[in-house]
Amino acid sequence: MVAPKERLGFNTLKTTKRFQNPPKDETAFPLLAEAIYPHIHSFNALTEGPGGGLLNLAVKDIGKKTVYDSTEHRSANKLKIWIDSVQLMKPAVGSFDKTSLDRKTYPAECRERMSSYRGKLMLKVCWSVNDGPEMSEVRDAGYLPIMLKSNRCHLQTMSPEELVKCREESDELGGYFVVNGLEKLVRMLIVQRRNHPMAIVRPSFENRGHAYTKYGIQIRCVRPDQTSQTNVVHYLKDGNLTFRFSWRKNEYLVPVMMIMKALAETNDREIFDGIVGSDSSDSFLTDRLELLLRSYKSYGLHSQQETLAYLGDKFRVVFGVADDMSDVEVGKEVLRRIVLVHLDSNEDKFRMLLFMIRKLYTLVANDCCADNPDSSQHQEILLGGFLYGMILKEKMDEYLASITQQVNTDIDRGTGINFSERKYMTRLFSKVNENIGQKLQYFLSTGNLVSQSGLDLQQVSGYTVVADKINFYRFLSQFRMVHRGSFFAQLKTTTVRKLLPESWGFLCPVHTPDGSPCGLLNHLSHKCKVATEDSDVSKVGEALSLLGIVPKHGFAAGPNVCCVQLDGKVVGWCTHEQGRIVADTLRYWKVERTHGLPLDLEIGYVPPSTKGQYPGLYLFGGRARMMRPVKYLPLAKEDIVGPFEQVYLNVAVRPSEIESNIHSHVEFSPTNILSILANLTPFSDFNQSPRNMYQCQMGKQTMGTPGVALAHRSDNKLYRLQTGQTPIVKAKLYDQYGMDNFPNGTNAVVAVISYTGYDMDDAMIINKSADERGFGYGMVYKVEKIDLGMNRRRGDPITQHFGFGSDEWPEEWKGKLDADGLPMIGTKVEEGDPIVAYFDDTVGKTKIKTYHSSEPGYIEEVKLLGDNNDEELQMLTIKYRIIRDTQIGDKYSSRHGQKGVCSRKWPTVDMPFSETGIQPDVIINPHAFPSRMTIGMFVESLAGKAGALHGIAQDSTPWQFSEDDTPADFFGEQLLKAGYNYHGNEPMYSGATGEELRADIYMGVVYYQRLRHMVNDKFQVRSTGPVNSLTMQPVKGRKRSGGIRVGEMERDALIGHGSAFLLQDRLLNCSDYTQTSICRSCGSLLNPQTSVPRIGQKSSIRCRSCATKIESETLLKDVDESEIWEDGQSNRFIGGADTTTIGIPFVLKYLDSELAAMGIRMRYNVSPK
Amino acid sequence: MQSDNSGPIVKIRDVQPDCVNFVLSECDLALANSVRRSIMAEVPTLAIDIVEIEENSTVLADEFISHRLGLIPLQSDDVDSLLYNRDCSCGDYCELCSVVLTLHAKCTSEGIQTVYARDLLVEPNHSNLKIGQPILNDDANKGSVICKIKKHQELKVKCIAKKGISKEHAKWSPVAAVGFEYDPWNKLKHTDYWYEEDADKEWPKSDYCAYEEPPNPDEKFDYTAKPNNFYFDVETVGTINPNEVILRGIRELRNKVAGVIYSLDEIVARNANEGNAENIGGAGFGTVYGGATQYGGTAYGGTAYGGGTQYGGTAYGTQYGGTAYGNNSAGNDDYNPTTGWD
Repeated sequence: MVAPKERLGFNTLKTTKRFQNPPKDETAFPLLAEAIYPHIHSFNALTEGPGGGLLNLAVKDIGKKTVYDSTEHRSANKLKIWIDSVQLMKPAVGSFDKTSLDRKTYPAECRERMSSYRGKLMLKVCWSVNDGPEMSEVRDAGYLPIMLKSNRCHLQTMSPEELVKCREESDELGGYFVVNGLEKLVRMLIVQRRNHPMAIVRPSFENRGHAYTKYGIQIRCVRPDQTSQTNVVHYLKDGNLTFRFSWRKNEYLVPVMMIMKALAETNDREIFDGIVGSDSSDSFLTDRLELLLRSYKSYGLHSQQETLAYLGDKFRVVFGVADDMSDVEVGKEVLRRIVLVHLDSNEDKFRMLLFMIRKLYTLVANDCCADNPDSSQHQEILLGGFLYGMILKEKMDEYLASITQQVNTDIDRGTGINFSERKYMTRLFSKVNENIGQKLQYFLSTGNLVSQSGLDLQQVSGYTVVADKINFYRFLSQFRMVHRGSFFAQLKTTTVRKLLPESWGFLCPVHTPDGSPCGLLNHLSHKCKVATEDSDVSKVGEALSLLGIVPKHGFAAGPNVCCVQLDGKVVGWCTHEQGRIVADTLRYWKVERTHGLPLDLEIGYVPPSTKGQYPGLYLFGGRARMMRPVKYLPLAKEDIVGPFEQVYLNVAVRPSEIESNIHSHVEFSPTNILSILANLTPFSDFNQSPRNMYQCQMGKQTMGTPGVALAHRSDNKLYRLQTGQTPIVKAKLYDQYGMDNFPNGTNAVVAVISYTGYDMDDAMIINKSADERGFGYGMVYKVEKIDLGMNRRRGDPITQHFGFGSDEWPEEWKGKLDADGLPMIGTKVEEGDPIVAYFDDTVGKTKIKTYHSSEPGYIEEVKLLGDNNDEELQMLTIKYRIIRDTQIGDKYSSRHGQKGVCSRKWPTVDMPFSETGIQPDVIINPHAFPSRMTIGMFVESLAGKAGALHGIAQDSTPWQFSEDDTPADFFGEQLLKAGYNYHGNEPMYSGATGEELRADIYMGVVYYQRLRHMVNDKFQVRSTGPVNSLTMQPVKGRKRSGGIRVGEMERDALIGHGSAFLLQDRLLNCSDYTQTSICRSCGSLLNPQTSVPRIGQKSSIRCRSCATKIESETLLKDVDESEIWEDGQSNRFIGGADTTTIGIPFVLKYLDSELAAMGIRMRYNVSPK
Repeated sequence: MQSDNSGPIVKIRDVQPDCVNFVLSECDLALANSVRRSIMAEVPTLAIDIVEIEENSTVLADEFISHRLGLIPLQSDDVDSLLYNRDCSCGDYCELCSVVLTLHAKCTSEGIQTVYARDLLVEPNHSNLKIGQPILNDDANKGSVICKIKKHQELKVKCIAKKGISKEHAKWSPVAAVGFEYDPWNKLKHTDYWYEEDADKEWPKSDYCAYEEPPNPDEKFDYTAKPNNFYFDVETVGTINPNEVILRGIRELRNKVAGVIYSLDEIVARNANEGNAENIGGAGFGTVYGGATQYGGTAYGGTAYGGGTQYGGTAYGTQYGGTAYGNNSAGNDDYNPTTGWD
């Protein structure tokens, strides 16, 4: 069946008009905003949502700290202190600025001034003395970096037109921070799925202790403020169980029974029934349970109170709780803070623990399989905003702790303490470090996590990345990037890197780098969303009871009944048959949008199986879950599915493959599984899959259009292609994502022919005339910051002033610099040219700073940057424009992972040409294809040619064609209509002889990208140059004009070739060849020295040790005066003249000196004597 | 395919203001291709080569605007009246070797103003000649877009257009493309017209098929046959009339050939003067570079490099031993007329 193809347009006029008059209402590319949604909305959740946002939830969770004003508690006054609420302001100029009318600070200013985009963080700190009346004060906790386009950013609701007025891109995405002028991004991390107990078999569990086995149940519990606490139940060899958690990076192991007894006033019978249920004939289970219950008897703790008191006693010090708390209260605090923290009530925790224990025993009995922690089914995404909130929470906790610490210090020092006096409290606040904003800024700028608790995370660094603006592809894909965690990068096994079918539709199978981060650094599929808000699950209980789920059942336990859980809380039990019906009904209802069920509720029904995943019905409505839309067949409506449930859903990829009673869902489009970038690869379904991976990498290295507000940016290095075009062949998504705003390449006429020999081995030949007309013409913008106050200490007077002084200075400086001492716009500067002049008071001279780069540049911009203190101008940035027209050796690539280096610019007349006189812009070698199988490139060439001939844009969305409807036919017909060969071949003529070539040549139009790897940044040449002063060998490094090492293996190759002369040249003559003197008689390299020349005589080389020192004049009797020589210290000697000059590698002399220092003498036999 | 010694024949099929289509026959492939090549690369035209920027407050960089200006086609019909800048006796440029164009555009109103090639004004030195005016072939007579400016932006430049050929830079090309074809029926089997199922369906017929007899399948393949009719389709960029382009292309070709003949003649004449005229044939090149006069003996031998003074003997003798580089005049490794390369 041949489906009619949609026609795309170029929309040139529309784009131009939109560019000239940006929309006044909303962005034309909602998909772009959707792509970075998780970043912005996770940040927004900090300050908005239920409970006043995550930060306010966090301060509730931190609770109150208690401190006494003396070590004698009975007579002491008690201070309770806590943070009542948190407020975050929008970025504004500071109070020291008295002149600004518009007090808002915009991000563009921060980028250009290399400052940070941040808003004030305000904490309302409350306290009460001796449980008396509440006092409060609002404290300023420093400036906190604000995410762009978040609810604390001025840009949030701006229309494209307003954004342009604020010097942003018309479709600015936000989602990143501006820290010290750099755009920083908190990257998304994969973590374990929250609130779901996972069965884990991990050999390293055995390291916990001698009886420990590899079996465990692990659950990552998440509090309402999105901080998490991981609990693990371990299985011991004897059948016993321990409960493990970590607190402040230390691990604690507690018998599970103790936790259970502490959670509820219970008895052994209840626990036994809660775990065994009706499976009392299972002797494996009952034996172990008996042991579990018996072995706990040794503690002699019977009631809940006793257990709590015991726990409280043990953990009192670790938790650092107030001294006036009883042990039982401390025990309760431990349960609240540690055990299954996602649940409020102890009863729920108790039941969850029972479930976990049963799951663990089932795992050990091998009645269920382990859950795979590498599968998306058990994963969720740690979003940047939530991580930011977690750190903030910890810092606020530390802040309160430091206040109590300060009180204790005051006690030790004997300072007068009076809590009820306001003055004392103010002094107390001023003594502690309140600048929380600074700590977060440190986190963003370094990516390092400084934390006492470790935040339940596995790494301490690498949380943030610079949002590179090499081109728009790169920029955009960074927001869709998900990392598995740097811990996994060190693992030697490759299992974590594997592409699992569970990630279908959530993580792109194509878009991952090759090399070390392969499989760890993934990208979200373009339709994959991440939940940033809790779904409203309040009506789920009602719906479940309608379906007959019993909330509590005395004997319900184990894998033979279906446990129903909602966000990690056991809500009921039913039979497996009923469970399936419940799951299906719930799904129907939620898609139907009835019964108050949220559409994004995840209904993970795990059916009973033989040794499969532990069964049950698991409902999830929490944040940070991955979700994606698919079509629900019974209602033909959109359903949102998650990775947990997808495993058990039958989702057809295309409507044609739906089978009744099998499929419940169908994909909206097969392209939904690909990331944004992978979707843009034309005809990627025709390529060998690694090539598509390569293209995803190279698309990000392309010299394209990083943005259009370049004048308002100060990036260190920015690549720009001057002649970007819209591709003739593009995917539908190309337009939907507005890629035409940032073109990334050029349509080139490409002939696949082996023509000159210069196209060997992935080299490509560029038509010289095409190059001269501007093919691939690009430039690099570099920004240099000049800060005269850099070496000045705080408070010192300014001694250096921009501009010329009244002293005398070289006249030629005027050629490059204007009267104000700053460079003129458009001036060409070469190495050593002055770029700025300043007058130095201390020496009373005018000095210059010079241009340091071997590549000439043009002055593009000079920006004068003021500081915050209204002082004299001390800082400016200069932007250089460096021309990068195509050089031989520059790298280009098509969009199919076919990269190549320009090997020649071939004269037009010598290029092959077609009968109509068309000459290719680019020639590539046919050998690039057979092994790589990038058929997509052929198809693109065909489509591009047909598109160019008919003036139409071609759709290259993958999976549009089939075996019966091939692109070769579709575009072949178009070509035939335009009077060209059906297959895209053309007879061509040799440009040199005019003779028709023997074979016809495949020629078409392919979109070419210029990659940022250019010879000008890479070439390394040296004849002579700087050497290491110790060894006299050439230094290394391109920057220092060093040499390229001929290493051991290269040496071996030279030896193998017998090329001794070359070997000597490389290793000696071009390295540390030195001529030095040696004493023939004593064979010493170190002793010969130059004598002090006498008048009328030349100095000579004498061996000091062979010479005789003239101690007294008496020795001089028979000696000829001319025999006497002097060293530099007026010592006189006779003899030691038997020296000569030899050529050696200098390191030999160095070796000799080192040995001499150890008392070892080296003696060389010199011959002929 | 009989040659009647009347020389090449040109049959013009179609002439338009900016293109010409003709058949060149009764000549060799080499000649036809030479004509094509010289049309493309050797015909001199005028193009802006130096741009003096007085004011540029547009968003485009100086060098980028200069590049755009360079690519604007300029009227070059009378370009022959100009000298090449390198041949001119002036220091920088003068009206004998260049045409000066100026451009001054400033936007004073709201909105976007487009600067076109028509805004380039030729300085009146060559007013009576057809040279230097920008080609405005579009319907609105505006010419190419140079840049777009907004309010308060200004572009003021002085452009010096010089004579040049496309071999040096594509901006001097008089043509956009030169169509070239022979043997539309592929009788000579120079190429193979690959097909999957049916060559007739997959390959479009050339327009020129009508001008030649279709192949007779019964006829034996004549492997001695040579291409005879060459179908040209020359499309100019508008700087020079299409017929002029071809004429000048042929002229350039002729001049090149004449140059070869001239230098050969010169050698013959010189050799005749020196009395060894019989040396022309086999040793032709030998005479150009060789012969005792020009390079041999006197000029280099003995004094400058040879001889025992500078390089021979002393300098190398000690370091590398007496033999390696020799002591005699072979110290220059230039061509030695008597022994060849040594």
